[in-house]
Amino acid sequence: MKKRFSFLIALMLLCALFPVSRAETVKLTFWHSMSEGAGTLIDGYVKQFNETVGKKQGIEVEAVFQGQYAEAVSKMKNILFGKQYDVLPDVMQLDATGKVPYAAAETAYPIGAALQDHPDADLSVFLAPAMANWQLAGEQLGLPFATSTTVLYYNKTALEAAGFDAPKTLDDIGALSSLAADGVAVYASIPNTPLLANWLGQLGSDLVNRHNGTEGSATELACVENGALASFLTAWKNLYATGALVNQNSSGDEFAAGRQLLMTESTSKVASILKKIDGRFELGIAPYPQVSADSAAGATVSGSCLVMFDHGDERKNAAWTFLQYLTGAEIQADFAAKTGYLPANKGAAESEVWQALIREYPQYQVGLSQLAVTPDTMRSVTVGPAADFYYAIINDISDMLDQNLTAEETVELMVGDLGGMLEQYALANP
Amino acid sequence: MSLSFHAGTRGKKGAFQAAKPYLFLLPMLVFAAGFVYYPFLKTCLQSVSIVNFRGEITGFAGFDNYLYLFGRRREFGIALENTFKLTLINVPVTVVLTLLLGYICCRPHPFHRAYETMFALPMVVSMAAISLIFKVLFNPSVGFVNYALGIQSGWYEDRHTAMGGILMLTVWMGVGFNFLLFLSAFRAVPKDALGCAKLDGAGPLRILLKIQLPLISPTILYVVCTNLILAMMTSGPILILTQGGPSRSTMTLIFFMYTSGYNSSNYSLAACVSVVTFLLTFLFTFLLFTMEKRKVHYQ
Amino acid sequence: MSKAFLKKVWETALGVLCLLLGCVLLFPLFYGLMGAFKTPAEFIAYPPTVLPQSFANLQNFEAVFTQAPMLRYFWNTLLVSTLSAGVRMMLALLAAYAFAFYEFKGKRFLFFLILSTMMLPADTLVITNYQTVSRLGLLDTYLGIAVVSFVGASQMFMLRQQFMASPAPIRDAALIDGCGDVRFIAFILTPMSSSVLATLFLQSFITQWNAYLWPLLVTNKTEMRTVQIGITMLTTLEGTNYETVLAGAAVVVIPAALLFLVLRKSITRTVGGGAIVG
Repeated sequence: MKKRFSFLIALMLLCALFPVSRAETVKLTFWHSMSEGAGTLIDGYVKQFNETVGKKQGIEVEAVFQGQYAEAVSKMKNILFGKQYDVLPDVMQLDATGKVPYAAAETAYPIGAALQDHPDADLSVFLAPAMANWQLAGEQLGLPFATSTTVLYYNKTALEAAGFDAPKTLDDIGALSSLAADGVAVYASIPNTPLLANWLGQLGSDLVNRHNGTEGSATELACVENGALASFLTAWKNLYATGALVNQNSSGDEFAAGRQLLMTESTSKVASILKKIDGRFELGIAPYPQVSADSAAGATVSGSCLVMFDHGDERKNAAWTFLQYLTGAEIQADFAAKTGYLPANKGAAESEVWQALIREYPQYQVGLSQLAVTPDTMRSVTVGPAADFYYAIINDISDMLDQNLTAEETVELMVGDLGGMLEQYALANP
Repeated sequence: MSLSFHAGTRGKKGAFQAAKPYLFLLPMLVFAAGFVYYPFLKTCLQSVSIVNFRGEITGFAGFDNYLYLFGRRREFGIALENTFKLTLINVPVTVVLTLLLGYICCRPHPFHRAYETMFALPMVVSMAAISLIFKVLFNPSVGFVNYALGIQSGWYEDRHTAMGGILMLTVWMGVGFNFLLFLSAFRAVPKDALGCAKLDGAGPLRILLKIQLPLISPTILYVVCTNLILAMMTSGPILILTQGGPSRSTMTLIFFMYTSGYNSSNYSLAACVSVVTFLLTFLFTFLLFTMEKRKVHYQ
Repeated sequence: MSKAFLKKVWETALGVLCLLLGCVLLFPLFYGLMGAFKTPAEFIAYPPTVLPQSFANLQNFEAVFTQAPMLRYFWNTLLVSTLSAGVRMMLALLAAYAFAFYEFKGKRFLFFLILSTMMLPADTLVITNYQTVSRLGLLDTYLGIAVVSFVGASQMFMLRQQFMASPAPIRDAALIDGCGDVRFIAFILTPMSSSVLATLFLQSFITQWNAYLWPLLVTNKTEMRTVQIGITMLTTLEGTNYETVLAGAAVVVIPAALLFLVLRKSITRTVGGGAIVG
């Protein structure tokens, strides 16, 4: 054991002394956050890449799971704080919480820079809302990989038996209140940042200024003076008053067990929810509910993208090749069909794999159609104090129903809590 | 406690003798300095500085961060109250429960191998695994507990019961280890001391109060102190089960530090909460130790 | 009925009562273990059941071993946990010895200085420690994973309590015999405290065995990962698939439980401390 160690150390020293004269294959590291089924898929794609394109071009990729998104982002932040840039991978999967630190990273290799190196690349193959989700202050940080949006899941069997169609608006949900009985709830939810941003977006308002923080660091709420927040809160209170809404988070299990008739969830859960329902009832999927009949429809994009880090030209070029592969039509179609994520590559949506899927499960199509009608102006929210914001929204809106505050009082409460956070963040990050 | 090694001759040997206890402490202090004190000093520095989202100190803030924490973050007061509540209930319940178990198990009854193992087993399970199981068991709508008991409690989804649920879990997690310590302590009470008392005609309660409890008081002090410290640091189960909700009813200091501080790129806020929690915990522990001289009996 | 018989009945009743109490305490674990045999649909079915429809459903356990190189992870975790618990106990033993048997300047201060290491939340230390460990070149090493857990103030504190409660005659006798420190620790103190030492070792080992965030942070390669990371690879964002996670947790808990069973005898032995005097 000891011998082997000293051998290794000697080898490492040798490597350091005589930089290898251009290795035959370029080795890349790819950090991802896909676990379980999706993790196995990723391993498969990487293997496939290494055996085909990689073999031809002399690239070998190693995929490493780095924990769930939050953990991977926290790891990236730690590496950036310590300026240990060598440790960073060539390609990394990031969710929205990683946007701010990535954009500030010294060795980031954003798409804009990559386009200068590869001017022939065509990015118009990607869905516009999915691309827009990975922009910050006008810069395209990464390319969409696992794309999803929030939709309404409903228990089609139960609703049809009672003579109801899929609800389109919050009022429609309220009309279902008669179905709540014997521990079966109609709808359980507490709005968080993305859910609230969706509803405000339908009312033509952003949650925070600077276009929901995508054009620069947000400094204040943008939904107070235009009355959007108050109108949504009023609608939410009215819904609660009907008895159709339970002021609790739901995990999806209640829904799959048939104990809750509606839930608003990411499209990426379709496959796993279907597995849990296991034929107990028919799953219906409808567009994200509208605040009211005269508000816009739609919901923002969520999910994750792939970003690159700069480790010299050779690896940068190889990373770009790999990135193109993973976001290409073939992989996107396969990944979408097996998980419930939406194909962000237009070519994937036209592929036979995807078409065959939606023939069998038309439910998968709803998310994609929803993105098509979602107003261009709707953006998901990017704020510095992300977690703080998220929980404050949940707690304040939950308090409104629990303590029977008026919409105006709740707005005031949220301005104090959320506005204060943004103000404090702006002070430390001018 | 009165032993002294200073009796040796002066000179080199005497100096060595005097340095000896420090040498025994040195290895631990070296690692503590590198991996605890040094990072904590940095934390203290951050608490009085302006720190940007990349963790860099960009200016001196004086006590502004603390003023912001005390004055503008209403979560802080809530977190403080919740943490105190949790600590004040968790510590006595854990101590009394495990002390009782240790006392009962002191003498082996039939099946003692089985139930001793059962009482100790909770200590091998990871916090994440047991939190997940509790989450499933106590789900208000599809969980087994509500169904089996025929009740409709909201458990972790109801602001009035959520903290009780967290307490239930933290006590559960502490049972195994503390039980084992009390068991060893009770069994280490010299047989002759017990025998003498029995000959004097003392009943079990009297023996417990006058002989056993004083003799195991060092272990009691340890269990009280460590559980107090652990309770003040509670955050893991909250992260998994309630995320501080519903309506902030389970928001503890460390959970607040984690979400509003580190997860929100507000490093100076996190540092302030960390320093405040440390000072409070230290104060409580110190106060407990002032009782050591009077109440804790070392042979 | 004879007094002896009544006593026997009482004793048995107490034993049965304890057994029942133990069952209640362990019910969540039992429920979790049974869950590992269920299918996703079965797991969330309402009304809920405790027992699975079939114990032959082993696909969750299969998933545990196919998702990640679990055996390698077991080996890594075993090494790291032994290293961590071993060093931790050594350092704690030495420090506790000094605090229990010596008088010296700054004793109380130093005691609280060490004790205070318990009062800092790990999150506070992580960022700086990551930088330290990576500067020392310890990323992706066993030492890098274990090094932050070497300071065990809690173990030191308990050992101090244990030593201070040791009967005075033992200490005096040993000192008069001119027994050296090391020999005193190795041949008198350690055997005398074996029950507490075993408990503390077990606790330290299990803490490291169950550690998750730090090992994830300081390892970048798959082959250096530990078992708890393997479990996270079983959870999904798309919907918590409890069954697989619980199967993972059940597999992962086995070595820790085995260690407990091995140490059980020395932990729960009935010999009183006074027996050693002589």
